[in-house]
Amino acid sequence: MDYIKHKVPPVREDRLMACQAYGGTCGDLSTESKKGCLYASKRTFSQTQGCQLNLSLGMISSMRDAVMVIHSPIGCGGNLIQNAGINKVFQKLRQESAVGLRWINTNLSEVDVISGGEAKLRQAVLKAEREFRPSAILVFNSCVPALIGDDIDGILDDLQKQVSAKIVPIHCEGFKTKIQATAYDSVYHGLIRNLVGEDNTAKPAVIRTPEEEIEHQAKISKTVNLLNVGSMSRIDEEELVRLLKALDLNVRILPSYSHPDDFTYAHEAALNVSICATHDDYFVEHFKQMYGIPYVLRTIPIGIANTNKWLRDIASFFGIEEQTEKLIAAETAELKQAIEPFKAEFKGKTAFLTGGEVRILTTAELLHNLGFEILGLRGYHFDKYGEILLDEYLEDVPNSEKAIFNIGSGQVFEQANLLSKITPDLFVGHIGVNGSAAKQGYPIFPLFGQSDDYLGYKGVYEVATRVSRILKNASFNKNLGKNTRLPYRDSWYEQDPFTYIDDSASIAARIG
Amino acid sequence: MSKVIERPRYVCALGGAIGTIQSLPRAIPILHSSSGCGGNLAGALSGASGYNGGNYCGGQALPSSNVSERDIVFGGEGRLQEQIENTLKVMDGDLYFVVTGCMVEMIGDNVHAVTKRFKGEKLPVLAAETVSFKGNSYYGYELVLETLFRDFVEPAPVKDAGTVNLWGVVPMQDVFWKGNLGVLKSLLKKLGYETNTFFGQGETLENLKNSGKASLNIVVSDAYGIEAAKVFEEVHGVPYITVPLPIGDHGTSRFLRTVGKALGVDEIKVEKLIQEERKAYYPYLERLADVYNDLDFQRYATVVGDPNYTQAVTRFLSDDIGWLPELVVITDILGEEQKERVLASFGEYESGLRPEIVFDEDASSVVGYINRHWPQNQGQKYHKGFAPGVIIGSVMERDTAEQFKVPLLPVTYPISNRVVLNRAYVGYSGGLTLAEDVLSLVVAHR
Ligand code: SF4
Ligand code: SF4
Repeated sequence: MDYIKHKVPPVREDRLMACQAYGGTCGDLSTESKKGCLYASKRTFSQTQGCQLNLSLGMISSMRDAVMVIHSPIGCGGNLIQNAGINKVFQKLRQESAVGLRWINTNLSEVDVISGGEAKLRQAVLKAEREFRPSAILVFNSCVPALIGDDIDGILDDLQKQVSAKIVPIHCEGFKTKIQATAYDSVYHGLIRNLVGEDNTAKPAVIRTPEEEIEHQAKISKTVNLLNVGSMSRIDEEELVRLLKALDLNVRILPSYSHPDDFTYAHEAALNVSICATHDDYFVEHFKQMYGIPYVLRTIPIGIANTNKWLRDIASFFGIEEQTEKLIAAETAELKQAIEPFKAEFKGKTAFLTGGEVRILTTAELLHNLGFEILGLRGYHFDKYGEILLDEYLEDVPNSEKAIFNIGSGQVFEQANLLSKITPDLFVGHIGVNGSAAKQGYPIFPLFGQSDDYLGYKGVYEVATRVSRILKNASFNKNLGKNTRLPYRDSWYEQDPFTYIDDSASIAARIG
Repeated sequence: MSKVIERPRYVCALGGAIGTIQSLPRAIPILHSSSGCGGNLAGALSGASGYNGGNYCGGQALPSSNVSERDIVFGGEGRLQEQIENTLKVMDGDLYFVVTGCMVEMIGDNVHAVTKRFKGEKLPVLAAETVSFKGNSYYGYELVLETLFRDFVEPAPVKDAGTVNLWGVVPMQDVFWKGNLGVLKSLLKKLGYETNTFFGQGETLENLKNSGKASLNIVVSDAYGIEAAKVFEEVHGVPYITVPLPIGDHGTSRFLRTVGKALGVDEIKVEKLIQEERKAYYPYLERLADVYNDLDFQRYATVVGDPNYTQAVTRFLSDDIGWLPELVVITDILGEEQKERVLASFGEYESGLRPEIVFDEDASSVVGYINRHWPQNQGQKYHKGFAPGVIIGSVMERDTAEQFKVPLLPVTYPISNRVVLNRAYVGYSGGLTLAEDVLSLVVAHR
């Protein structure tokens, strides 16, 4: 992969042929996805979803000592307002002196739309530098300046000469893609181009004696970059660091909650460890291409099976299989005993999951392992990485070919319809769609959370206890179910949930 | 030239429009915009507004044409037509309202031409071009009201002397909008009037449709809803008045006198009502006679936020509970004319206070104004500063309050560190609630 030379990264529809509209079963999806034309399907009725600008902010707004510039009319980036004044708590878990969210909106007006938003962008960057003296200024481009044709890279290159903060342009214009996950590429693209590597013009290169150099290289040979794009809580980070340290590895966590300087030496690592291909494939592929650093990318350490796979992938790279097997054996023996009581409790219960492809497939395996039957899954999108995991899932979880698989970001009308038909005992959902399921009365376990643990061995136990707790009393949601109404016609629930998915184009693509 | 804004406390016209429409009973917004606009705005409309949720149809349930790059090249009208048709099939509403994002405005889609095709159908489909590079949330509120008044409210040549309409309390931007509208409605009931608030508890679209028969429109704001009031007057011949948002005895008594006068209510009747309300109000404050004075509860205050609340809170602090709200920072984007009107609402205090009032949209500027008003201690032995102090603002003032080691009560948008359901701050009863909240902070901070 080599897109870094370009100013703007490609979108996932093009790069990964990712699909964003599908309805069928796990078995069908596994077959049809391999034909490679699902990317062309679309919806003739749709609900709003969120764009790659939102997700980019979600991923990197936690960066410490940075100021964000949202280059747009006043509304884009509005999502940040709900975190103003709160985000700091999570940053502080990583660094005491954290300052919380700071952003500037360029407030593009009608005049700017006609004559270009360059002056505003300049103003915003200079204001960020003057008011806050941050280490980095992250500039997020939105749809409007993209359509006006603002040359943001040109302006920012020029501005970089005047400000001491490192400027990072992020090309995350929402209208370019329906696959929000393109955001990860857009952010990594900006970070790799602008933050990684020493800037020898600013600071003299580090000089080491031969002995120091040997020691330095030895340290690098045992260092891994653990990638967190915001889906790992602090407790999750601690669990994974615990496991990696048990294997005598040094861990550097990037990019969420990191400091801009943390990237300078990001290429001094032996291995990039991803917890999710949806997040990181762009980053790790480029690091391999540019710095020769290999990576593990297959799965997320959620549930015993996938945590084991994840650790084994890392072990085989470092040639520490024996040590790792011992760790796995000890951890799983202890854990299996601890979760035994839950299995009896969850036996015969059913679940439905929705969220990112990687996270839902592994969480489904975890719940299956705890005794749940999985009735269906909804993924934001689906691509070749999902394909691999889905096949592993079909192997790990017997008889799941018939379970529902629906692909769509948001599109809660499809979800509501599905839930009215398959009525699971537990709904597991990503933020944004849980409220809708709550109004149908389902007990809800959030798929991820900033304050809770999900990953590694500890995560399995913690997920089990929380699910058990939630199932003990679902009165709040039951009351909502009885006393509120979703905004859909009764007739909608009588229809096929996938009525508004139009896959004629993908059939055409297959035939043509 | 418009300015860049550090941490704006509002979103775009589209966001304001969505917030307004989704607060109407059984109304369904239809977004004609990029796929991200609605999702992006949902957080601002819910999480930042005391966890308002999306009401009946909001958040990820919002129908949206999700135009993409391809539509931008070829135009999005076909997609919109398809989206409206299918929305009518799937979504269960009594009123459908198309609003637009920047992208479709830039490519010049004609949404009115598309929605016209749905005229005469069973259900009304309205449209407003909520051009978001022309204005913020408040502009969106204004545009939605104007469209409703022009295209939804039915002509009513005969007026009903006992009915009035009231707006200016902007859903979501006023986090306590629903409770507040309820209080104002019952207050006017005591004056003898039925009030349509359009968005409050128990309101119906039927009431809105028939609101043309009202005898007066009361805009409870010196900044918002006035353009819509002009449209209402032009189309339906109903005059309007503007009156500041009232909190507590002094604010609400002024409110009743102004409204009573405009409606031609007998002055004695108004004064009698005020006396009755005071008789209920002060026995509650009386409870604090000891603690207020034993512990010296008087505070300096900095008030930060929109013009509606800042003037109301300032009057309440100054005249009802005897504080010193010496500094007010108004954070909205206002035109010169608006600024003048707003400034005028900060006068005539019983206390004789003359607060310093500044207009600044940037969140981090507040620190500077506090330091300018109460210069910091430069190591002097004798120094008078912002102490004892309290900040009444939004959650954005959290860091500022920490820095000055003073308590913060979030009352203005955004509020993400409180859950708000039916709490109200306006009227006499709201004044007691505010007294409770702000003085609780003071006792808890001892
Ligand atoms: S205009 Fe584009 S960048 Fe802004 S919120 Fe909408 S889709 Fe996202
Ligand atoms: S593009 Fe325009 S309409 Fe969409 S969120 Fe941004 S400012 Fe609002």
